[in-house]
Amino acid sequence: MFKVSGATGGYGKTTIIRDVSLEVQPAEIVALLGRNGVGKSTLMRFATGLVKAQAGTVEIAGVAAPPAPSKRAKMGLGYVPQGRFVFPRMTVIENISVAAASNGFDAKQVVAELFEDFPLLVPKAHDLAGGLSGGQQQVLALARALAIRPKILLLDEPTEGVQPSIIDEMAGVLKRVNQEREIAILVAEQNLDFCLSIAERAYVMEKGAIRMETDRDSLLADKVLQQELLGV
Amino acid sequence: MFEKLYKSSGLIFPALATIAALAVSGSLDAYLAFVATSWIIFGLLGLSLDVIWGRGGLLSLAQTAFYGLGGYFGAVVAINMAPTYGMSLVWALPCSALFGALIAAALGYVIFYARMGALQSTILSYTLTLLLWSVTQTFKLDVGAATIGGDNGLSGIPGFVLGFGEEAKKLKPNAAFALVVCISAAVYFVTYWLMRSNFGKIVDCIRIDIQKTELLGYDIRKVQVLNFAYSGAVAGIAGALFALWANYLNPSIFSVQEALLVPIYVLVGGLGTLAGPFLGALIIGGLSFWLGGGAAGGQTTLILGTVLILLVLFLQNGVLGALGSLWRRFMPDPNNAARLTGAVQIDTEVLEDILVEAEKTAGPAKNLSTDEAFKRFGGVIPVNKVSRDFTPGEPHSLIGPNGAGKSSFLKTCVGLYRPEGGTISLGDEDITKAPVFARVRSGMGMKNQKPQVFGEKTVRENLWIAAYARTKDSAKSDAISAQILGMLGLGAQSGVQASALSHGQQQWLDIGMVLCLAPRVVLLDEPAAGMTNEETRELSVLVRTLAKHTTVVVVEHDMEFVRTLEGHVTVLHQGKLFAEGDIKTLRANDAVLDIYLGRGEHV
Amino acid sequence: MEPDFLATVLLSSLSSASILLIATLGLAVVYGLMGVINLAHGEFLMVGAYSALTATQIGLPFLLAIPFAVFMTMLIGAVVELLIIRRLYGRIFDTMLATWGLGMVFNQTAVLLFGTVSPGIGMPQWNFRIGDFSLAVYPLTMIVVAALLLAFVYVLMTKTVYGMKARASIQEPQMAQAIGIDSARVNTLTFAIGCGLAGFAGAILLPIIPATPSMGLFFAVKGFLTVVVAGPVALTGTALTALGLGGGASVTASFMTSVIGDVFFFFVTALLLWLYPLGISSKWRRKL
Repeated sequence: MFKVSGATGGYGKTTIIRDVSLEVQPAEIVALLGRNGVGKSTLMRFATGLVKAQAGTVEIAGVAAPPAPSKRAKMGLGYVPQGRFVFPRMTVIENISVAAASNGFDAKQVVAELFEDFPLLVPKAHDLAGGLSGGQQQVLALARALAIRPKILLLDEPTEGVQPSIIDEMAGVLKRVNQEREIAILVAEQNLDFCLSIAERAYVMEKGAIRMETDRDSLLADKVLQQELLGV
Repeated sequence: MFEKLYKSSGLIFPALATIAALAVSGSLDAYLAFVATSWIIFGLLGLSLDVIWGRGGLLSLAQTAFYGLGGYFGAVVAINMAPTYGMSLVWALPCSALFGALIAAALGYVIFYARMGALQSTILSYTLTLLLWSVTQTFKLDVGAATIGGDNGLSGIPGFVLGFGEEAKKLKPNAAFALVVCISAAVYFVTYWLMRSNFGKIVDCIRIDIQKTELLGYDIRKVQVLNFAYSGAVAGIAGALFALWANYLNPSIFSVQEALLVPIYVLVGGLGTLAGPFLGALIIGGLSFWLGGGAAGGQTTLILGTVLILLVLFLQNGVLGALGSLWRRFMPDPNNAARLTGAVQIDTEVLEDILVEAEKTAGPAKNLSTDEAFKRFGGVIPVNKVSRDFTPGEPHSLIGPNGAGKSSFLKTCVGLYRPEGGTISLGDEDITKAPVFARVRSGMGMKNQKPQVFGEKTVRENLWIAAYARTKDSAKSDAISAQILGMLGLGAQSGVQASALSHGQQQWLDIGMVLCLAPRVVLLDEPAAGMTNEETRELSVLVRTLAKHTTVVVVEHDMEFVRTLEGHVTVLHQGKLFAEGDIKTLRANDAVLDIYLGRGEHV
Repeated sequence: MEPDFLATVLLSSLSSASILLIATLGLAVVYGLMGVINLAHGEFLMVGAYSALTATQIGLPFLLAIPFAVFMTMLIGAVVELLIIRRLYGRIFDTMLATWGLGMVFNQTAVLLFGTVSPGIGMPQWNFRIGDFSLAVYPLTMIVVAALLLAFVYVLMTKTVYGMKARASIQEPQMAQAIGIDSARVNTLTFAIGCGLAGFAGAILLPIIPATPSMGLFFAVKGFLTVVVAGPVALTGTALTALGLGGGASVTASFMTSVIGDVFFFFVTALLLWLYPLGISSKWRRKL
């Protein structure tokens, strides 16, 4: 379904991730764990094409992805970046509409659907996104990514700076879209509780490489590993 | 040896250039000497822009206004005095410098005290130049022997006269060239010294991060106005030299084309290098001269325009900047040490010593109180009539949902936001209307959410500039910064540029800078963000120790961190006080769970 | 004071303000949407004027010469974006300096190609009387043109998908790409539209302001003062500022001299910047 092979990349001449390979099956939720600065965000940005590949390929639904990020989006790659990056001087509706319309979907219909998923956004529909609180922006960024009707959704630190009650709500929505619309999800996180509540499988990164692959139960059981890798 | 030469290159090379110029001045062709004199004058004008743009961070398009006004003023004085007393320079230079400085200070007062945005400041400075251009076209005035005749200009300006009395003759071109070289070199070395002095260091900090500089307690507006006035004085001197050189002035000195040339000189030579503008003026002047057209030649504009575009695109740092980075490649990288850092370990004993010492000089801890504090942005009210006392003894944590107004509350306390209602007091002092730097001087210290460090400066310089803000004493600042440096475990990194540090280390450096201020009230906005768990534990130790000696208010999302602080917790919601108590009580509070902590249905 | 005279002054001032608005809209689009101050805007206006002039000289009717001028300036604008502007996004002062240089190059090229004086275009001059005073009709129609143009640009940028893409691309370029927008192409188009608006202004104002190589300077200077005073809500802010500053200067000039009108313009600009250090619209909660 979604496959990254031999990913090597970074910024300028600095290589941050080396030969990273991972795979997400259809309708699967996979977590990408690791401490600060191990290259999780870089891997996410590599997958979207925002970080240039020094080597490696990305495959979406069995098709090799072209380098341009906009083309990957059209192939069904949704992305929620760390730090949200909503369009600040556009309204909530416009943030969602522009994503839908750029991929050939009926903006009105998509907005109506997403407002059902995220009732939190309805009273803010005509507000500029820059004026929303951090948690609301995070939800909007998620709605915007869903507006392109993705097959695979990449989430980068969705809980960072978000209040616990919204984190809880997001976990609920993610599980639902995963089950109802069969969207595969890859989520990079430091918040172990959040990850373990939604993901069944996890990759653990260290120093720019995948150190191991594990599943929820073994990770839960292995306190030493938790301590060592995540500093929990 | 190689590195020493690099460090003093701003002294040695200009000195050599001055000597070389003086050496050849006698043997130059008289016409070339005459034209080359103007290049030096333009270089001096470029220097005035470099002071305010390259160092101060404001792209001023009013330099030709100070230059022209200074020139006119000096010329009028010289016309009236020189024929009788001689010494045209003695009359013109101080008058022009003073007049240029006054106009620049007035413009700077408007720009900096209104706290204008960068673009608006540039545009306003340009407006002054344009205003002068349209007004001077028709402005006619007789001052004694001098006649300012609108677009007919001001003629009869004496040349460079060095002797006293009526008999004194004006200098020949070659001697005038040597004289202008000497004056310009003198101005350059004074500027070089000024920019290396403590004043210059503060100017640099303002350019890098104006908000942080004010949060250290520096009156940034005053420093900026002074720096602008100095730049105006340099431009004025250049204007006087130009008037004496050309013997004639007219309103075209205020034209758009003239205004444009100045940033070109600076960019060609290298922004912020001080010596660069002279090189730039020499290159542009020489190029025009060699192309044969002089400044009026048709193709010159075409070439200048193209040069400007190419410079912006490909040679951002100008000739000297490019040479400098080439040179640095052959020297060891001082930032290598950044990768060798160990873990931060807070030694509570050392910290106690520092805090006790600070208490001796800065007085006892103060209370921070707000009474009905109120702040609104359009329809959003992030701080809605909050009344709260914060006292020393135990840490105070502020928690609450996103958008509850926690950061806004801290920003209102420190003065980054001006409240619309209510009062804020520090100790017995009402500080509701005081500007940020005044609050900091009264004992407030604040660390913003993102680490704010002066990236181009070294770790030691960062701490030093913070300590100097309080002590105004270089020796004491050396001692304090060394002490804090040791406590943060950054001793080996003292010479590393702050921007080379990791995010977590920058957080520590920022906290260290706040400690250098010996604040009586400490406000920390999400200090644990981006820190590892070990670092967060050390931070908790630091905050608890700090709270024994000062009032500490911490905004934090990391509940685990808040728990370890074992202090008093206040919950904010929609800008209002919602609940308070210790963390256990709050965790048992249904309302707090609803708005903030969540019930864990999905997680 | 006679009511006839007052009406004349008001109408002609309104038309001056409209002319300023027409000349400034392209700048407002480029600044408001892209955060770029295009100091060569005046020269694009000049290119538009010369394009229209050349078109009429080879026999095209004036109404067709206008779209030709728009096409030419959009084309040149697109090339400039590809070669220069694209490398400088987010570096506002660098773009200012680079476009300043570009303006000089255009200006000098026009001097070489067309000389410093050029013939006006033959347009019938209709007049319109209020009591004893006579007003030319063409400048008055500019009031309507300005209103239509403003409405057109506003709708284009706020109601169309292109408008949303254009704003998204400049506000968060990387995220715009990540949701499927080819933001590089959208930015080229937006800059070209800004230049095209300058070309339109140069062409439609040709009967009032004859083409000369330095004609743009006057408008560019006033235009970008207007835009900067307007602040972040570019379109609405610019319309208001153009009306206030341009109209005010024109009223002042009718009662006194044109120099005093200019002084009024610059002085009020300085005053507004002092009162609103980030532009008059910095606290408005509007899109454009």
